[in-house]
Amino acid sequence: MAAPHETGKGLSQGARNALPLMLFMIIGFAAPLLTVIAYSFMPPRSFGLTRAPTLDNYADIFASNSYISFGWSMLFAALTVALLALICYPIAYGMARLFGRWSPILTLLFTIPLFVSENVRLYGWILFLIKNGVLLGTLKSWFGIEPESILFTPGVVLLGMVYVYLPFMLFPMTLGVSMVPNETREAARDLGASRWQVFREVELPLSMPGIMIGLLLTFVLAVGAIAEAKVLGGQTIIPITHDIEIAFTYAQNWPLGAALAVLLMIVVGTLVMLVLKRFDLDAILGKR
Amino acid sequence: MLKTPLSRRNFMQRSTAFAAAVAAGAKFTTTPAHAAREKELNILCWEGYNSAQVLDPFRQDKGATVKAESLTNDPTMVNRLRAGETKIWDLINVNNPWARKIMAPEGLIKPLDRATFEPYFDKMMPAFKAPYKWAMDEKGEQLIGMAQRFGPYCFVVNTDKVSRKTAEDQGWNLWNDPANDKKYGVLESDDWNVFNICCIAGFDPFKVHNDDEVAKFTETAKRVFKGAKVVGDIATMNQSLVSGEIDFHLTGGTYSASPARADGAANIRGITPNSGPMEGGKGGIVWIEITSPVNNPELSPLATEFLKYVQDPKVAHTVAFAEGTFNPVAQMGNKECFDLFTKEELDAIQWDSLEEEVARSVEYDIVPDYDKLLDIMTAAKKEASAG
Amino acid sequence: MPEGPNLLKVPKDCMSKRPPILQLKSLTKSFGTFNAVDGIDLDIAEGEFFTIVGPSGSGKTTLIRMLAGMEQASSGDIILSGTRINDLPANKRPTCMVFQSLALFPHRTVGENIEFPLKIKGIDPAQRKVRALALLDQLRLPPNYYGKSVLRCSGGERQRVALARALAFDPKILFFDEPLSAIDYKLRKTLEKELKDIHRETGKTFVYITHSLEEAMVMSDRIGVMRAGNLVQVGTPNEIYSSPKDKFVSEFMGDVNVIPVSMNGSRTITADTFDKTFTVATIPQAFSKGHLVIRPEFVRFVTEAKEAENVLEGKLYNEYALGSRIQYQVRVGENVFIVEKLRQHSSTLRRDQTVLIGWDAKDSILVTG
Repeated sequence: MAAPHETGKGLSQGARNALPLMLFMIIGFAAPLLTVIAYSFMPPRSFGLTRAPTLDNYADIFASNSYISFGWSMLFAALTVALLALICYPIAYGMARLFGRWSPILTLLFTIPLFVSENVRLYGWILFLIKNGVLLGTLKSWFGIEPESILFTPGVVLLGMVYVYLPFMLFPMTLGVSMVPNETREAARDLGASRWQVFREVELPLSMPGIMIGLLLTFVLAVGAIAEAKVLGGQTIIPITHDIEIAFTYAQNWPLGAALAVLLMIVVGTLVMLVLKRFDLDAILGKR
Repeated sequence: MLKTPLSRRNFMQRSTAFAAAVAAGAKFTTTPAHAAREKELNILCWEGYNSAQVLDPFRQDKGATVKAESLTNDPTMVNRLRAGETKIWDLINVNNPWARKIMAPEGLIKPLDRATFEPYFDKMMPAFKAPYKWAMDEKGEQLIGMAQRFGPYCFVVNTDKVSRKTAEDQGWNLWNDPANDKKYGVLESDDWNVFNICCIAGFDPFKVHNDDEVAKFTETAKRVFKGAKVVGDIATMNQSLVSGEIDFHLTGGTYSASPARADGAANIRGITPNSGPMEGGKGGIVWIEITSPVNNPELSPLATEFLKYVQDPKVAHTVAFAEGTFNPVAQMGNKECFDLFTKEELDAIQWDSLEEEVARSVEYDIVPDYDKLLDIMTAAKKEASAG
Repeated sequence: MPEGPNLLKVPKDCMSKRPPILQLKSLTKSFGTFNAVDGIDLDIAEGEFFTIVGPSGSGKTTLIRMLAGMEQASSGDIILSGTRINDLPANKRPTCMVFQSLALFPHRTVGENIEFPLKIKGIDPAQRKVRALALLDQLRLPPNYYGKSVLRCSGGERQRVALARALAFDPKILFFDEPLSAIDYKLRKTLEKELKDIHRETGKTFVYITHSLEEAMVMSDRIGVMRAGNLVQVGTPNEIYSSPKDKFVSEFMGDVNVIPVSMNGSRTITADTFDKTFTVATIPQAFSKGHLVIRPEFVRFVTEAKEAENVLEGKLYNEYALGSRIQYQVRVGENVFIVEKLRQHSSTLRRDQTVLIGWDAKDSILVTG
């Protein structure tokens, strides 16, 4: 019988078996990322990776007013996440605990829009909100009132983001709430806890893994949002992703776009790591 | 106690695998097939050439696989070739100066056989008679592309709010009138916005600008974007004009207004100012698309076939009215082609004023300090968004 | 079988004199047309260890959930110390339940779990900790468990934590919903005894539900046997053991010999399925048809018919070693009988050997139903 560890061959059986997947991960995931990072160190407006590396792009960004775009992205992502948490928790609670056999139907209703392109849905909102559109047109013809159009304002951008990212908060949250064993709720109540105390002491901490995943997922997605600001906001605000897009398209300054993308990754990555450190999912699940 | 423990590690692993799959998928789809290229053709173009109406008859006739990708600005397309995609594409369709001034000198495109293709120019409108400047290289020796769609591109008004006469008379100064704050939109077409902000600032865009002009440009860009109610794509602009959200918008012309006009909104009209800061006091800019064979080491033989195909009067009419955008085509100089256009179609492309608009316009050209101006404009846009 | 002495020590005389702490009057819980609990009347005395035994689906869990306030009663009264508490929500009732799943808070330490009811009551952390440590000690858990995650505790330790948490609440009545059912046999036996000791130490009223009469026997002062939403028999373990009210109760006790019998005209009891007349001690009034119940330890092997009041001839089919006892399966025709002997009575019995089995009239019970 052959020895399980053929040290002469260098790779263990496990490593050999993992090799195809590792290669796939490197090519599919690491390579594009590394390309972006490498580009960020190329001289501005160059189209290859052969030039001498430079920090010019980063210097340009810090000298420019890109902080405005970063600010918008962070602010709107934070607002979106906060609003979604408030909106989704009651729905998630209902889907996990109250609605019973209606839950799958509700899930379907929240899922179906995902099959329609985000841009199409956002244009739907435009038709709804635009002057003489569904909302204002109806108000005008039925009640004779003509309020100012709210289209192309930051508020509508937020509305759009909340609308688009709702499922990404709702489903992990629903999972989180349904992971709370019902008897722990009953036990807490039996031990004298009021409904609010049950929520605070048992419900919330035990559904935290789902909530955290929802928060992180929607935050990361919302920081990367672009269509809402472009379509619904009429570019009254310019998120960082739009900045990156301009750099890669009209400006044809790939290194600048790459540097912006790298900075965004660093900022978001740091935030996510800080949150994960503060709310370690494993610890929340009691696996310390 | 917890029946389905979902650990962070687990979640991360799954997410990473998913992301990798997506990234890999994206990579594979853009990988060119290295099979025989007899029966395949890849076109990089502006919206219109990628429509099924244009491509399907050609596909059927040649039994070929034709892929077309549409983009909405010239620099991106040219840079795709610069970044090595000459191996992928067979034809590139961009605005006039890029073939002659950029792609030909950089060796990104290949010349056409003059004897075969020049006769087509003779059937076009008089202005396109061979040798047509933008279809030739700088030395005037090589034919490097074919002309088809063209159109004036300045701004668009709702004539119910601002009359055509007022708009043509006032021209670019519409944006210098503080009373128009928040009454207008800006089409998200940043290369053209650079040209047009130059015009508003009062100088010719297609030259190197001095410091005073750059300062004026900076000030103007900030003002224009601050005053804009909405910045968006063509659909958003048309919708906003029709609904009354805005009265007029910067950057636009037949290319952008024609879909709305064809839809019955005759009050949406592309305007070419009577006068402006361009050479000879001209106020407008007109673009002409040039379609050139890419310098592909394995160029598909179908590239030249396609160029001939779109010269056919019927196909030219289809190209003019391909889905998404409707435009005049040079082939309308041929009566056989012109007769295919209905009165409504001529109305949609503003045929009534086309000749005078073109006469008041200069031809789209390269802005030597475009990069600098674009950066200034991008920054101005962001500053406007900060309130 | 659990042996008697343990049960007999409980001073039953004082039990009946104490006032009932919990009274149930026609308590009913309906789900649609189905009555899960069907009009139960019961008094439970203060300080009593009362166990409700029944098979799954008998309504015992529904009953205890009503008592704890987690289910609303459909009709009837739940009276705690003279006050009707039907409409009092679970968190307002001075009672507490130990769940089958234990329902410990997995995100909390042992200490935090035990302190939970104290925290809810607003007791300051220092006092909470003192109480929690005292309870750890009372439940034979080392003090360093205070900071341990409950997920790292063993099954038995979790039982103790759950009980400590319930005791920290200082309830008037402690309810138990089969907390030991998922525990392995040996540990269960230990915990049963511990629970009984804690009952004695705390003097609280315990109401316990289980599907195991054996478990009930070990711990309880009184037992209520439940079937289909009704209490079939309520009594001390001894009463239930020695005088089961019917076949259901007697069979619930574990392996038992049950012979379908009828009374014939001459007031003698004869087997329904084979030809045999039995000698019995007493015949209940108006008895016509029912079952003769004989516990296996009362059946013995005999060599002659005169050695016992009732003797049957059969064939030894198999033998099973049950720890200190040996169980034999004897077939009399198509009828299966079980005989149990202590192990030291080792025998030379062989399979398929013809044997005589017998019992005395005083050891058999005649039940209707």
